[in-house]
Amino acid sequence: MFKQFIDKSLGADVYLITSLGIFLVFFLVVTVLLFTMNKKHVSYMSRVPLNDDKA
Amino acid sequence: MLEKFNYDNKIVRNFAIATVLWGLIGMTVGLLIATQLFSPEMNLGNQYTTFGRIRPLHTNAVIFAFVGNGIFMGVYYSLQRLLKARMFSDALSSIHFWGWQLIIVAAAITLPLGITTSHEYAELEWPIDIAITLIWVVFGVNMFGTIIKRRERHMYVAIWFYIATFVTVAVLHIVNSFQLPISAFKSYYLYAGVQDALVQWWYGHNAVAFFLTTPYLGMMYYFLPKMAQRPIYSYKLSILHFWSLIFIYIWAGPHHLLYSSLPEWAQSLGVAFSIMLIAPSWGGMINGLLTLRGAWDKVREDTNLKFMVVGITAYGMATFEGPMLSLKQVNAIAHFTDWIVAHVHVGALGWNGFLTFAILYWLIPRIYKTAIFSKKLVAFHFWIGTLGILFYAIPMYLSGFLQGLMWKEFTPEGMLKYPNFLETTLQLLPMHMFRAIGGLLYLTGVIVMCYNLIKTAGSGKLVADEPAEAMALEPAFIPGSGEKTWHRSLERKPMYFLVLSLIVILIGGMVEMMPTFMIQSNIPTIASVKPYSPLELQGRDIYIREGCVNCHSQMVRPFRSETERYGEYSKAGEFVYDHPFLWGSKRTGPDLHRQGGKYSNAWHFNHMMDPTTMSPGSVMPPYPWLIDQTLDISTTVAKINAMRTLGVPYENGYELKANADLKIQADAIVANLAIDDIKVQSDKEIIAVIAYLQRLGIDIKAGRIGSNQ
Repeated sequence: MFKQFIDKSLGADVYLITSLGIFLVFFLVVTVLLFTMNKKHVSYMSRVPLNDDKA
Repeated sequence: MLEKFNYDNKIVRNFAIATVLWGLIGMTVGLLIATQLFSPEMNLGNQYTTFGRIRPLHTNAVIFAFVGNGIFMGVYYSLQRLLKARMFSDALSSIHFWGWQLIIVAAAITLPLGITTSHEYAELEWPIDIAITLIWVVFGVNMFGTIIKRRERHMYVAIWFYIATFVTVAVLHIVNSFQLPISAFKSYYLYAGVQDALVQWWYGHNAVAFFLTTPYLGMMYYFLPKMAQRPIYSYKLSILHFWSLIFIYIWAGPHHLLYSSLPEWAQSLGVAFSIMLIAPSWGGMINGLLTLRGAWDKVREDTNLKFMVVGITAYGMATFEGPMLSLKQVNAIAHFTDWIVAHVHVGALGWNGFLTFAILYWLIPRIYKTAIFSKKLVAFHFWIGTLGILFYAIPMYLSGFLQGLMWKEFTPEGMLKYPNFLETTLQLLPMHMFRAIGGLLYLTGVIVMCYNLIKTAGSGKLVADEPAEAMALEPAFIPGSGEKTWHRSLERKPMYFLVLSLIVILIGGMVEMMPTFMIQSNIPTIASVKPYSPLELQGRDIYIREGCVNCHSQMVRPFRSETERYGEYSKAGEFVYDHPFLWGSKRTGPDLHRQGGKYSNAWHFNHMMDPTTMSPGSVMPPYPWLIDQTLDISTTVAKINAMRTLGVPYENGYELKANADLKIQADAIVANLAIDDIKVQSDKEIIAVIAYLQRLGIDIKAGRIGSNQ
C-alpha cells in the first residue's frame, strides 16, 4: 500500500521523512517539557475556571 | 490591591441572540436544499433559490453566522472570567458585533444573487472579504487588549485555543482571498488550477480545524468544568493536545484532493498527517469525557451535560472518521459522495450544534439571574436533536456507500453496471428523504430551544454589568522566584504565545504549498491547452454564478470506473488557465470535465430549459432564465485584461477584438441550434454556457496530448 506512494512521487520520501522528523522533534520536546512542569502550578491552572466565580 | 469591575454580559447576550437567530435561518435553508435534492420543484422556480446558489448560503450561515456567533458568545463570556477583566473596549465589542452581523447580511444578499467566488466556505466576494478582515482585527485587538489588562497572570488552556483560532483564521482568510477584482462584485483568484485547489483546500480543511474545532475545544475546556463543577481531567494532556493539534492540522489539507491532479507527494503528505491527527483529536475528546469521571450520575440528571457528552462523542467519531476517509482506498469510494456530507454533519450537528446548545442553556439563565424556563423542554430538545442526527447521518452513510459502489460496479462482461449516472442518483432519493426528516427533527429542537430561551429571559432581567472583584496583577515578576518551567512562563506572555502559534501553523502550510508554487515540474504544461475564448470565459463565469460546482465535479480521477464513464482522466496541465479551479467536491450530478463534444448544442439547450426532457427523472433544476437573460459583454475587456495580468497568454490588444470573436462564436452556435429548430438570439446567456460546456476537456482529447504526462 505504501510502496505505490514512494514509487510514484519523486522526492516524496525525503518530504515525508523530513516532515515526520520535524513533528517528532516538536512532539518530543513538548512531551519532555511537560514532565518538568511544576505540579502545584498544574493543579492551580486546572482550577482557574472554577475559581472565577469567587473572584 | 482589590479592584472592583464589571463583566460585560450585554455583548454575550447579543451574540447569543444572533447565534440562535442565524442558526434558525441557516438550518431552515439547509432543510430547503435537502428537499430540493429529491424534489426539484422546491427550487421554487426562480434563479435566486436554486440549489447551486443557496447551498453556499446554508454553509456560510451555519458556519460563520451560527457557529461564528456561538464562538464569540462563548469567548466573550469565558475570556472575561478567565482573565478577571472586562472586555478591553465596549466600543470594539459593539463594532465587532454589528460588523459581523452586517457581513452575514451581505452574504445573505449576495449569494442568492449569484455573486460568488466559488471557493467553498469562502464564496464571499472581495469587498466582503475585506470587511471580514477588518472585523476580525477588531476582534483580535479586543481580545488581546483584554489579555493585556488581565488580573490573572496565567492564561488558562481555553485562551490558547482562542489565540490559535484568531491567528490561524487570519492567515487562512488572507491567503485564500488573494483576488484580482474586475468590478465591485467580481474577481478572479490569483492562483489557477492545481495551485488554486491546493490553497482552497488548505483553507477549507483548516477552516474546519480553526473555526469549527479549536474555538469549540477552548469553550469545552471552560464550560465543561463549570457545568460538571470539577477541573479538567488533565491539564498536561491539554498542553500536549493543543500543540500537537495546531501543528498537525495545518498539514492535512491535501486529503481533500486525493487521486486529483495534485502532485502525488503532496497527497501522500496530507494522508500521513491526517492519520497522525487522530492522536491530538482524541486527546481532546478523552480529556473532555474523562473530566466527567466519577460524575456520571450528574450526566443522568443534567441535560446540559448530556448535550456535552453527545457533542464530544460526535467530535471523537468525526475525528476518527476523518483520518479513515483520508486513506486512499477509502477515499476512492467515499469522495464526491454523500458519505462526506454525513461525516461533516456528525461534526456540525453533534459537536458544534450540541456544544452551542449546552452553552446557551447554561449561560442564558446565569446572565439573566434566573432559572431555565422548562427543563422538560431542554430534555425534549436533547432527544429530538439526537434523533435528528441519527436520522440525518445513517441514511446519508448508506447513501454514500451505495453511491460510491454503484459508480464503480462493473458487469461480468467488463461494462459499467450503471452507465447512466442518473440511475445511481435516483436510487438514493429515499435516503435523501430520510435525511430531510432528520434535518426537520433537528430544526424542531432548535425552535423549541428558542421558545424556552425567550421564556427564560422573560422571567429574569439581564445583568448587563455583572460586578466582580479581583486582586490587581503584581506588576513585577522576579526571575528565579520559582518560575522555572517553560510553559508556565509562556502562559504569562500572550504575544510570545501568538508568535509561537503562528510559527507552528506556518511550518505545515509552507512545506505543503511552496514546492507546488516554486517548482515548475510539479505542474507539467500541455502544449495543446489554450486559454478560453471570450464567449467560453463568459460562460464559465455564469457556471460559477449559478453554483454548478456544488453538484458537478470537473475532475476525472484515474480509475477505470471513471475513465470508462467520463473519458481520459484529468491532468494538472489542463487547469493552468482556470482562475478559479472548479474541481468541485460532490457529485450530485455527473462529472463534467470531459463534457465537451459529448452531446449536441441542442441537447444542452433543451437540458438547461428543462433537464427532465433529456434525462427523465433528473433532479437538476431547470435554468430557463439563461435563455431570457442577455449576456453582459461590457465586462469582456476587463475580464481579458485581468486574465492576462494573471498570466493567461492573451496577446496584447486582444481585449479590443474579444467581443467580435465572441459574436462570431455565438452566431455559429445559434446557426447550429437552428438546424434542430431551436430559435434563440445569439446574445443570450445560454449561448455562452453552451460554448463553455462544449469546450470542457477537449484540449487533450485523443491524439492531441503533447506533453510529458
